[in-house]
Amino acid sequence: MRLGRYELTLEPRPARPAIFTALTAVVAILLALALSSFLFLSSDAPLIDAYRAMFSYAFFNPHGVLATVHRSIYLLFCTYAFLVPLRAGLWNIGLPGQVYAGGLAAFAVPFVLRTHNPQTLALPPGLLIVLMIAAAAAAGAATGGFAGLLRAKLQVNEILVTMMLNSILFWLVAYMIKEGGPFMSATGEGESFGLPSSLHAPLLLGVPVTAVLALCVAVLLDLLFAKTALGYRIRAFGENPAAARYGGIIPVALSLLVFLLGGAFAALAGYHYFAAVPGVYKIPGNYGYYGDLGFYGIIAALIARGSSLGAVPIVVLFAGLSVGARFAQGELRLPFGVDYALLGLLMMTFVASHVLYHFRFGWRRIPSEALQPVPTELPRG
Amino acid sequence: MWELVARSLEASTIFLFAALGELIDQRSGVLNVGLEGLMLFGGTAAFITAQTTGSHALGFLAGLTLGGLLGLGHGFFSITLRGDQVVSGMGLWILSFGLTTYLGSPYTGPLGLGRIPSLWGLSPFFPLGVALVAITWLLLFRTGLGLAIRSAGENPAAAEASGIPVTSIRFLCVALGGMLAGLSGATYTLSYNPVWNYNFLMGWGFVSLALVFFSMWNPWILLAGASLFGIMWQLSLSPELILPGVLSRYVWRTVPFAITIPILCIISTPWFRTRWGLAKPEALGRPYAKG
Repeated sequence: MRLGRYELTLEPRPARPAIFTALTAVVAILLALALSSFLFLSSDAPLIDAYRAMFSYAFFNPHGVLATVHRSIYLLFCTYAFLVPLRAGLWNIGLPGQVYAGGLAAFAVPFVLRTHNPQTLALPPGLLIVLMIAAAAAAGAATGGFAGLLRAKLQVNEILVTMMLNSILFWLVAYMIKEGGPFMSATGEGESFGLPSSLHAPLLLGVPVTAVLALCVAVLLDLLFAKTALGYRIRAFGENPAAARYGGIIPVALSLLVFLLGGAFAALAGYHYFAAVPGVYKIPGNYGYYGDLGFYGIIAALIARGSSLGAVPIVVLFAGLSVGARFAQGELRLPFGVDYALLGLLMMTFVASHVLYHFRFGWRRIPSEALQPVPTELPRG
Repeated sequence: MWELVARSLEASTIFLFAALGELIDQRSGVLNVGLEGLMLFGGTAAFITAQTTGSHALGFLAGLTLGGLLGLGHGFFSITLRGDQVVSGMGLWILSFGLTTYLGSPYTGPLGLGRIPSLWGLSPFFPLGVALVAITWLLLFRTGLGLAIRSAGENPAAAEASGIPVTSIRFLCVALGGMLAGLSGATYTLSYNPVWNYNFLMGWGFVSLALVFFSMWNPWILLAGASLFGIMWQLSLSPELILPGVLSRYVWRTVPFAITIPILCIISTPWFRTRWGLAKPEALGRPYAKG
């Protein structure tokens, strides 16, 4: 584009240092927060009070902090579930479906072993909890792996398949917990039976053990991508599939592997939410809300640019924001869905920052000889 | 029985409008995976406008306008900035999902206007849909503009060399595609099911996107596919009409989605790709840099 004597162009950035990556992430998040002020316009309260209500509840109120921690664990697993396939250039938007698959499989263990009735508890509870986690991970891996296999074998678009699986599993959960479904609670209120207290995930300092797992995975995933041959293959395949194939990397196995891993992580999020958060310990009737909340994992992984450790602070912030936004919504009588609106705004600023991450504006003066009209007269002499 | 058929055909117009818009997009080489987002936004804008002004026509106008604007937004990112079209499309979808949930929630509930008059029980949108299919087919395969659109999607460099303004053609197509997606959302919220609800589409947009791949980028096959899915959708809502008492109604709701997956697999097999899949626009999803 030409502006007077200057030319404005969009050029690919040759190098992107880590500090620049972090800076784009921070700017995208701050911009979304600034834009979110228009959400509070319909409230009578001054703007600053709205932000204060949001942040002080999420990060300083004892109830709020605990809610933020639980949600962070949930969103961290969702983030990994999206992040691992993304490193291979694939989009796993099947987070809600894999979350539901994990929840259903975890509850199937006590259901099949008839242990939801405390009198017939047969196996030691510790073993049962491990079984529940394993069942959840396996179910999620199967759900994700199905999409990965189709992608690997037939090049079926993974976005469509995972989205279809979301809808299928959403209705399957409804079937299982509502209108006389197998998992329906004895009171018949459209939610699943509650887990007996012996099967609640153990707490460490009031925080479920899944927190430890979530943080370990953050370290392991970054190590996987930075230091191992497998991680290198996944990254190479994600950057340029054709070149990777030329270099001897087998795409079929990789596509399947990343989706198996991704699905298992999302299922652990489901396990965490339905079987490890104090006060829940059941599949509630509004499970769809938590499934959709998993989409925060997409934006967290995108803003963190595929770094699992880098995603941790982002996820904690998002968890706090979504918890605080819900609180502020009640406090300031805002319409429902402030947390979802924030999700949308974050996505918008991410897409904008994505352009600036890959391109820079070239701003150069057009050399004056290029602008000068060609002389029409011959010089004298 | 006629009532069920009429209702199914109305459901199929929603798939049809959105998919037809996406087909035009894709024929020009632009992939928009955020179709559902455009429909959500169009539908919500139409609902809010119609409810506040009391006019269906203004509602449709709002849906069309917003859909077109969002389509242009996707175009700006994917054509002008040459960004990743999947990133932009997914961004549009999540943006719409988040914002419409917030903006629409004060309007949750029925529309509260009279039903749009029907012709012998059939929604007027179905004949409109058939007409649009015919127009799109004529436009794409019988006019110079259609040839320009298709060549922009097949080989933009060659098209540019032969004097076709690829960028303008693609912008025209994303605007048209966005308007059709907005129309589809508006048809849902103003006519098919005039009740606003959080995330009311629940996958209609993604099914429409899949329909475009099934259609082999041909509007007539798209019409057949959309009608089939409309019937399937309606039957999944009221399975008792065919198999009363078999399986829970929730299990039936999974059927349209479950059928989509094997169809996607069949059209992805090498056999199908080599025999029938040649209609896929060659430059689909690839940004074009003027050389």
